[in-house]
Amino acid sequence: MNEFLSVGKSVPYIDAKDKSRGQAIYTFDMKLPGMLVGKFLRSAHAHAIIKNINTAKALKLKGVHAIITRDDTHKIKYGSNSYFFPFTDDQYPLATDKVRYIGEEVAAVCAETEEIAEEAIKLIEVEYEILPAVFDPILAMKPDAPKIQSSRNNVAVMIPALAGDVDKGFAHSDYICEAEFKLPSQAHVSLEPHVALAKYEEGKITLWASTQAPFRIRENLAKTLKMDQKDIRVIKPHVGGGFGGKLEMLPLDFCACLLAKKSGRPVKFCLSREEEFLYTRRKHPMIFKLKAGASRDGKIQAISGEVIADGGAYCSYGPTVVAAAIMRIGMVYKLENVKIFGYRVYTNNPISGAIRGFGGAQSGFAFESLMDMLACGIGMDGAEFRMRNATDPNFTAFNGMEITSNGLKDCIKLACEKTEWKKLKQDKNKEGFGIGIAIAADVMGSKMYKSHESAGTVIRIEEDGSVIIFTGSADIGQGSNTTMAIIAAEVLGIDLSRIRVVAADTETTPFDTGSFASRVTFISGNATKRAAEDARKQIDEIVAKHWNLPIERIVHKKELIVDRDNEYNQMSFLDAVKLCYSFDFGKMIIGRGVYNPPTKPVDLRTGKGNVSAGYSFEAQIVSVHVDKETGKVTILDITDAHDIGRAINPIAVEGQIEGSLYLGIGYTLWEDLKFKDGIGINPTLFSYRVPRSTDMPPINSIFVETDDKEGPYGAKGMAESALLPTSAAVANAIYDAVGVRITSLPITPEKILQALKNKPV
Amino acid sequence: MNIKIKVNSKNYELEVEPNLLLVELLRDRLLLTGTKNACNSGECGSCTVIMNGKSILSCLTLACDCDGAEILTIEGLAESDNSLHPIQEAFVNKGAIQCGFCTPGMILSTKYLLDTNPNPTEEEIKQGLTGNICRCTGYVKIIEAVKDAAEKLRILNE
Repeated sequence: MNEFLSVGKSVPYIDAKDKSRGQAIYTFDMKLPGMLVGKFLRSAHAHAIIKNINTAKALKLKGVHAIITRDDTHKIKYGSNSYFFPFTDDQYPLATDKVRYIGEEVAAVCAETEEIAEEAIKLIEVEYEILPAVFDPILAMKPDAPKIQSSRNNVAVMIPALAGDVDKGFAHSDYICEAEFKLPSQAHVSLEPHVALAKYEEGKITLWASTQAPFRIRENLAKTLKMDQKDIRVIKPHVGGGFGGKLEMLPLDFCACLLAKKSGRPVKFCLSREEEFLYTRRKHPMIFKLKAGASRDGKIQAISGEVIADGGAYCSYGPTVVAAAIMRIGMVYKLENVKIFGYRVYTNNPISGAIRGFGGAQSGFAFESLMDMLACGIGMDGAEFRMRNATDPNFTAFNGMEITSNGLKDCIKLACEKTEWKKLKQDKNKEGFGIGIAIAADVMGSKMYKSHESAGTVIRIEEDGSVIIFTGSADIGQGSNTTMAIIAAEVLGIDLSRIRVVAADTETTPFDTGSFASRVTFISGNATKRAAEDARKQIDEIVAKHWNLPIERIVHKKELIVDRDNEYNQMSFLDAVKLCYSFDFGKMIIGRGVYNPPTKPVDLRTGKGNVSAGYSFEAQIVSVHVDKETGKVTILDITDAHDIGRAINPIAVEGQIEGSLYLGIGYTLWEDLKFKDGIGINPTLFSYRVPRSTDMPPINSIFVETDDKEGPYGAKGMAESALLPTSAAVANAIYDAVGVRITSLPITPEKILQALKNKPV
Repeated sequence: MNIKIKVNSKNYELEVEPNLLLVELLRDRLLLTGTKNACNSGECGSCTVIMNGKSILSCLTLACDCDGAEILTIEGLAESDNSLHPIQEAFVNKGAIQCGFCTPGMILSTKYLLDTNPNPTEEEIKQGLTGNICRCTGYVKIIEAVKDAAEKLRILNE
């Protein structure tokens, strides 16, 4: 039972009806008069100097309107971690000096039809001087490896996590274990591919894009096109899924704009499924070499090691992905002695970048498998071991992260109770059945590319009582527009049906950094709450004057404005709005709200800092069956107890947890985007296995509501984190079931059978 | 070549190229963009439509093979522009729609499933939707929505 009017009550997404009728318009569906089709010429070489590009023959082809190459650009590099790591702005929107991976964009064509554009691409002649290439990050770090960018040993960035004295910690340990974990790449597989549609008119560009971050695209378009931001408008229509893959300006955005300018016609790029798999972004493959020690009382004494991430040819979000991969452990465990180095390495593979989990799926598997090995080594139950070391509320982590509300221990406790953990763990006659636990934590926001992480909202209350929210936040299907509407409805005490949401248009809505890092409910939600409070105050002032009462006595109830001390004194919300616009007052109601989370900068030499104004936590317990004959692993059920602060829209929170787990299950058992010598092996939905409806186990979501002091109505972000512990929970359950430890993903039947074969009798 | 085709109860006579796909005819010629083609290779199910009562993949179907056929797309499912079909209603109310890109195909696969099996078990629902990829929901709420729609349709048809 809560005291709220709208918060905490499940409502369908405000755009769900349109989507159910097929009426929602995605960039994918858009057409403009005279629109041309854009296509890329991509590099066939993994590493080569571009000597010469000749477009003469292609330009003569009938139906070709324009072709652009490096010579049409300002040759300005861009990147995605520009604030923390400005030197990692390392990519040209069209290859300029060299190509560094197979598939890199070398030239772009716009033509009347797709067929003509493809024909033109074949007629462009490029002269390359082929260079030696390197595809293995460990080989790439050797001094004699081919040099891909200007950085030493192909290490773009090295990030430390340092605290205390690990030698001392290991000396105090009764048990020490060492292990190496190998994590593969994963593709986002958004059903709507990347699409960009650009129009150029009187010196101004309008770009419609399937994006999670329209303001970020505008910023990088302005930089690389050498235009003012005011002359660029980026609009986000409905987006068919993002999962971190649509957080950046990609060459298609840049080329759509430049070709529109050059040809004078609207130009649309729509990537094919194969291009989506191979040439957009993907999860960083990582290697974790770790060592950890614990004393017999269950205390973690030390963790050390290194993390090597194959970032591919350009940095993208790689440096912050690696930082996030090693920082998260400080949110989860009370640690004193830590020495971990993370390396984001250049290779001639396609670019790795952001994907839901942001380094945490990889590190979750490695660290949470390692913690189970430690617990096992000292003979302690895995859940008890985690309880013993889990962080508490109001705790400052070894790396400076300031944890405030923290329901981690409650999550562990509730997940154990729900699954009858103790009983199942002690059952010795469970041939092939096993149960495993893993825990995780996550941020809500992180200043990845700017010095601030502001979100803004404007709320207009019209004379007819309708409420329009203008928010910069990007709804990509996670339901943020609905969340903003619920928050505003709660503040104003009104029905949701009054509210419309205008979002993510750089010209008409306030700034917002984008939909990533589980930041939107927390950060954009706070901005919306403040805007609604500002609008409410304006109404209340007028009502108070009208009733000749102090403003404190004006309260909002369901569609009513009421005198707190005399409930008979009331008027409807609509009458209150009409009063504001009446002859006596004549006041338009426009509320404004901005929010920039209070954080502390990260010192990159030590890895210390406070990246987020709040942290969310979870414990996950998975039960599995392992068929010893075939090696097949079946996930029987998953219980996820999650500190979400407060559920603004519970059905949406469940949906985010279920969807996040889905990606975690896929990564654990099947998904493995493979490359050999830089060439994609499985870029189709036939050869790259994503989970189907028949693959999903039952999911029990338990909400732990800690009512965070900074979050809007106590809410925290949570959309990314449910997948962080899944792989390790499954691996730990497999160990419980059949006594073998799998240290790489995906967990295939072959790996299980091999491990069973190698298992000492 | 010339084909006669009925789409969402409306008759069309169209001149089509022999290599034109049904999904292209629907999206590009008739501007029925509710039908999506997310993979163009029959793997994702987002292009699912109903042809002569059966669910088919419109990205693997030539328009010229639809001569004389009756097609139902997502735009023709509800009785009117202001109403929702019980399956659409269930998808909306149960939170089965996130990004919505798979939704039209998913809803039409559900329609075919419930037309042929009005009282499916959970396993039969999962089997019925195995050709439709959803990357957002983990299918949990979609399966709940199908159960809900099945119940509503059974009551309506009683």
